[in-house]
Amino acid sequence: MDGIHDLGGKQGHGPIDTDEDETAFHTEWEGREWGLAQCARTPGITIDWWRHCRELILPQDYLERPYFDSWAQTDFSTYIESGWISIDEIIAGKSQATDRDYGEAAQAMSLQQVLDEDHDLASRFDAEIDCPPAYEVGQSVITRVHGHGGHTRLPQYARGHRGIIHAHHGAHVFPDLSAKGEETHQHLYSVMFSAVELWGESAANDKVYLDLWESYLSKPES
Amino acid sequence: MPEFDAKKVTEIHHQLHNHLPSESALRIKALESLLIDKGLVNSQTIDRWVEAYTDVIGPKRGASVVARAWCDQEYKQRLLQNAPAAIDEFGYLGKATGHLKVVENTDRIHNLVVCTLCSCYPFSILGIAPAWYKAAAYRSRAIRDPRGVLAEFGVDIDDDTEVRVWDSTAELRYLVLPQRPTGSDNLDQNALAALVTRNSMIGTDRNLGETS
Repeated sequence: MDGIHDLGGKQGHGPIDTDEDETAFHTEWEGREWGLAQCARTPGITIDWWRHCRELILPQDYLERPYFDSWAQTDFSTYIESGWISIDEIIAGKSQATDRDYGEAAQAMSLQQVLDEDHDLASRFDAEIDCPPAYEVGQSVITRVHGHGGHTRLPQYARGHRGIIHAHHGAHVFPDLSAKGEETHQHLYSVMFSAVELWGESAANDKVYLDLWESYLSKPES
Repeated sequence: MPEFDAKKVTEIHHQLHNHLPSESALRIKALESLLIDKGLVNSQTIDRWVEAYTDVIGPKRGASVVARAWCDQEYKQRLLQNAPAAIDEFGYLGKATGHLKVVENTDRIHNLVVCTLCSCYPFSILGIAPAWYKAAAYRSRAIRDPRGVLAEFGVDIDDDTEVRVWDSTAELRYLVLPQRPTGSDNLDQNALAALVTRNSMIGTDRNLGETS
């Protein structure tokens, strides 16, 4: 989706706040949302569907509201879309009785249990597939020119450009379909682009690396 | 189960835009209250997640890994070849580091990490990402004008140093291995770790040990 989230190379967003202090959470509510997001994910969602729901936030809200606020709004949207909570409950500010079985109430975890769970969250997204990789390291590739209306991880700035395969990472879950609930795997590559190829004006030696799935790529004609 | 219905979610965001309270604190409180009411989350567990990422998991972990790589060539090779296994020698494997890659700075190469499409970050080794890393100004510009961004952070890069920007578009996450400061030969691993800044592991800091 060519949405507001696809920010790479956009201009006019102003200076960076380089003086920010290094505390993990700047307000109490940021910490609450971080914690909520770790222990409450809508059953059956995928990381890519969650990301897509965040991309679908109204552009003005996406740019202007604080970061962890957008996580909360994304959580609301995935719970509502799945039927776990309703807009009426949000407006009323309290939960209403439904026929849904919410299962056993979540139990309190200790710090050690939380740290163990964090360790378990080192998720892997790769898998063995029968199909051999189409490209090898050092080969030239061209990225797809067009995007599509769904979730994708090929940013606009990198479309229709020539790059070189820098590394092959095996086959990883393909996000464009994972965002629709379909788990398939495709070969994933680090692709190196010259900054001049992408931006015209750039230092001659500078490079940009993206991790791109095989179907984002094709062989150049010459 | 989700229906994976993007059109419906767009509608929901319009409704949320109109009905959620404006203040972030109230929005998050509303979400937490509803989820607790339904038994989907436990308030004390949220407290423990905040504690974990305030007191235990943070950039000090990354700094320890970097300092060890400076002192132990064999460890450095393991880190460059298989970062998830190498950080787990410290027990630091975790959220978003299952496919960690380490990229090394040299006299002639400077690495910078960004996520232009969202805010991907190697949580279990660096903790919570700084707000600037997740904001539009950095996400838009780091990929296009990395030297300008670095100058904004007070880092000047020679013309003959190659800048490599890594856009975290997949589930791989990147950690920059900064260069060991010159004149640090007499420092032990703990003293070296104290010199490693969070920003140097993202790539927005370079010359460690120099007072700016």
